[in-house]
Amino acid sequence: MTASALTRPGERDRISSKLAELDWRVIGLLCVLAGIGTAMLYSIAGGSWSPWAWKHLVRFCVLLVAMIGLAMVHPKWWFHAAYPLYGLLLFMVLLIEFTPMGYVAGGAKNWLNLGFIRIQPAEFVKIGLVLALARWYHGHTAQDARWSWKLIFPLGMIGVPFLLVAKQPDLGSAMVIGLTGAAVMFMAGLSWRVIAAAAAAAVAVIPPFVMFVMHDYQRNRVLTFLNPEADPSGAGYNIIQSKIALGSGGLLGKGYGLGSQSQLEFLPERHTDFIFSTVSEEFGFLGSFTVLACYLALILISLRIAALSHSHFGRISAAGMTAFLALFVLINGAMVMGLAPVVGVPMPLLSYGGSTMMTVMIGFGLILSTHVHRYVELPKGQGLF
Amino acid sequence: MSSEPHIFFSDVNERQGSFLRRTFLLGGGMALGTTALVARLAQLQIVKSEEYATLATNNQFNFRLVPPPRGLIKDRNGVVIAGNRPSFRVLVVRDETKDLDQTLDLLGQLLPDTLERRRTIIREVNAAPRFSPVPVKSDLSWEEFSKVNLHAAELPGVMADMNEARYYPFGGAYAHVIGYVAKVSDRDVKAIRDKGEQPPSILFNPGFRIGRQGIEKALDTDLRGVAGGKRVEVDARGRVVAEDAAGSRAAVQGSEVLLTLDNDVQNRALEVFGEESGSCVVMDVRNGDILAMVSSPSFDPNLFVSGVPSKVYRALADYERRPLLDKALGGTFAPGSTFKPIVGLAAMKRGWDPNRRVVCNGSFFLGRRFACLGRHGALDLRGAIKASCNVYFMTIATEFGPDAIAETARDMGFGQTFDIGLPGQKAGLVPDREWRRRNPVRGDGKWYPGETPSYGIGQGALNVNALQLAVYTARIANGQKSVTPRLIKSVGGVEQTAGTAFADLPYDPALLKVLRDGMEAVTDVGGTGFRNSQLGLGAVRMAGKTGTAQAQNYGAGSRKGAGRPWAQKDHNLFIAYAPTDNPRYAVSVIVQHGGLGGGTAGAPRAREVMKVALLKDPEIRARIEQAGFEAPEDAGAREAEARGEPVDALPTDIAAPPPEPTQ
Repeated sequence: MTASALTRPGERDRISSKLAELDWRVIGLLCVLAGIGTAMLYSIAGGSWSPWAWKHLVRFCVLLVAMIGLAMVHPKWWFHAAYPLYGLLLFMVLLIEFTPMGYVAGGAKNWLNLGFIRIQPAEFVKIGLVLALARWYHGHTAQDARWSWKLIFPLGMIGVPFLLVAKQPDLGSAMVIGLTGAAVMFMAGLSWRVIAAAAAAAVAVIPPFVMFVMHDYQRNRVLTFLNPEADPSGAGYNIIQSKIALGSGGLLGKGYGLGSQSQLEFLPERHTDFIFSTVSEEFGFLGSFTVLACYLALILISLRIAALSHSHFGRISAAGMTAFLALFVLINGAMVMGLAPVVGVPMPLLSYGGSTMMTVMIGFGLILSTHVHRYVELPKGQGLF
Repeated sequence: MSSEPHIFFSDVNERQGSFLRRTFLLGGGMALGTTALVARLAQLQIVKSEEYATLATNNQFNFRLVPPPRGLIKDRNGVVIAGNRPSFRVLVVRDETKDLDQTLDLLGQLLPDTLERRRTIIREVNAAPRFSPVPVKSDLSWEEFSKVNLHAAELPGVMADMNEARYYPFGGAYAHVIGYVAKVSDRDVKAIRDKGEQPPSILFNPGFRIGRQGIEKALDTDLRGVAGGKRVEVDARGRVVAEDAAGSRAAVQGSEVLLTLDNDVQNRALEVFGEESGSCVVMDVRNGDILAMVSSPSFDPNLFVSGVPSKVYRALADYERRPLLDKALGGTFAPGSTFKPIVGLAAMKRGWDPNRRVVCNGSFFLGRRFACLGRHGALDLRGAIKASCNVYFMTIATEFGPDAIAETARDMGFGQTFDIGLPGQKAGLVPDREWRRRNPVRGDGKWYPGETPSYGIGQGALNVNALQLAVYTARIANGQKSVTPRLIKSVGGVEQTAGTAFADLPYDPALLKVLRDGMEAVTDVGGTGFRNSQLGLGAVRMAGKTGTAQAQNYGAGSRKGAGRPWAQKDHNLFIAYAPTDNPRYAVSVIVQHGGLGGGTAGAPRAREVMKVALLKDPEIRARIEQAGFEAPEDAGAREAEARGEPVDALPTDIAAPPPEPTQ
């Protein structure tokens, strides 16, 4: 079997024909969401391109080009790179933990200072994890995926970065890593009985975990989420102010640039984690509904791309990346609406922040690549496991 | 790689089929999750929208209280005696300073005296709520104010502004009547809470002052006014972003209070005391208006407005002449001989003939010898008042007993407080048999006859204050009505008429005339108060009664107390009214430890104060001017010189002519 990009007979492996195969709906939705993000950052800064809106837009444009570039990359390269990339990212997380290159910001040691750049490897670990899991499942049978001793490998691949990141402590990222991994295992065909057992175990383990293992500030966040009014000026402040911003937006919103909660800085972290509250305040229910609808459309289109792939690697990796994106949206949405603890998960493409946007755009590069190369079938079993 | 397919078709089918089913489920789950979020959004943004809109408005807008200007207090002629003046002050907002210590260091270079109070300032600043400015220094000079403004950029969190401060232009003259305002203390707040009321939020404004003493305290709620409000848009740090003029309302100044006091009389009354300790009350005998009420020595109430330094406060509190005590209302003294007309009145009411003579040979015996000031011979009541003869009054006191004296004393205003709107009045004590029963001496509740002679000359357990003495004098002078004093003329333009309808005195006016005749004789040639009671206003003369009250028992033979330390000298009293033919004004003067004889310390002071009161009365002034009387000289002094007696050495400011009335 030859490794042609578009393996439909008679088509050639040309960039121009690959570009024509891009899913422009996905690109359109990404541009809409990033555009809304830029507009909100402009508004929050009091009608100014600096300090956020300009950088956000430039980053997006650069990453958009990079994403289209990644979409051109043949899945075999993704496939080959999966394990080494995963290993490299894990190594970086270890560097943070065990060397002075780790850099503390916002209470958690989750930055890696490489001298010329500071990055949050925890963000990229998710990509490496999805790729590594996809590669592992690609080489294994349905029976292995359902329930066998070999599941130790994917479990380990998820567990190690999960524990390392949780120890930083970056609870939000750890949660996303764990849940993304769980979603991949689920889609790969994990037995329902095992799922039920795991769910039961989780229910049994979480309360003692909250009480005895979590750091104080993490536990505060969780307990505050359950009753934010108990500490309105301290830990409950964020949730209360976010709910006020959302609720006071009403059906049509207060108008662009007129959100009192965000403009007068009552809303904390309004340019990052709580940017969705600003959208809701200034554009009301219609605005926030539109944003959520865009995300849901992106998620469903991406899942369809995963379903249409001819290779199991493509299916798992695209679906994993989608699950990862969906988790961000759902957790952040629930968080700003007071339905989940404040865990520091940003809203993809809306929130200001380079690492997250980079991760998301790389993820979509992978999804688009899966779409462009949906007919490619990859050989089984090349690799370590 | 072999050409064999690596994946069996069935396996592909199974993996792919399972994946598709699971993906479908996941997609459904995502849609469900998003729907849940949309439902939550609908709940927050549509169902509860109004509730959250209110909360957002509460966040965005703040209502800042604006302290109202305090109501003015004026004298009867409209002279402002408690007003407001602009004051520059420096405030510190802790949360806007980078480092409080460093800021205070810099501020100390500009305002050195803040360094002395540094510890207090730090305590106050740290106790204040977030972003609430705390005044650290008031009453800056213009130079200091501009210095602070000039360095504003280097002093984040420090600001200088202008507010209104209470000001008492006449200093100590009104210190006891008007009192003063001071910072609201925790005790004030607690007192309001104890009454079951909610303290108004303006109380917590750093610039607000509460009435702490006197009229300022008694009429605090009237003087306070209504706080204004400024609706301001604030950011999350509490900083004002914009002001909403439409949502603001202006502060309403407190009610204006007019007192019955006359500024000239009041100032003169304090002036004549010099360093002496005592009190003086001047009353209008027709309507009870108090024209002057002073307590000496006094203090400057302006010191208390921005917080009195503890050193100054200690000095005032520790001074033996007790400037902080209001001696006019809160200091009680034995009335001494000024009480004698009461004893005469009590006797006449029970049938004593004022013309009946009692022979004085210098002593009165009842168990022991009671001395008189001289051997007066045979005296009737008028003569006894004129000579202030102890024997006469001891005789009639013994004859009619303590209960008769007590009844008349109460009728004339003793043993009670008056509703003049001021707290802190002492009722004094009018003893009688009933009182002795309730206050036995070593278990013995019997009134012994031996106590009565002292009572007859105003000594013993008897205790009165200067206001009561003035009321008593006014009632004698009025001759008919049971005059009661009035201090507050009007509040917010509403005339205070309570107690101005007087009942008749339960005495025949003819009896009171006898007393007045006696008191006129006191200030006439040969009377105990003659030398120092001459007004020098021609036909307008003053009648009075001298009094000396023992501050302590010196033992027989040595009563004068001359050469003794101040605190052991006798109290010196004088009551007077004028003009004698048509009484208008009554004066009472108590000079604490002023020495023997009301004629020496009390009378000249009463005279000087009375002069001002009379000259300010347009009718009396017209009468004096009609008589072509000019440049009044001290007739008494001339008379005394002619007889070769030394004129009492008085403080020069007393001998000086009264200030020209401003009317």
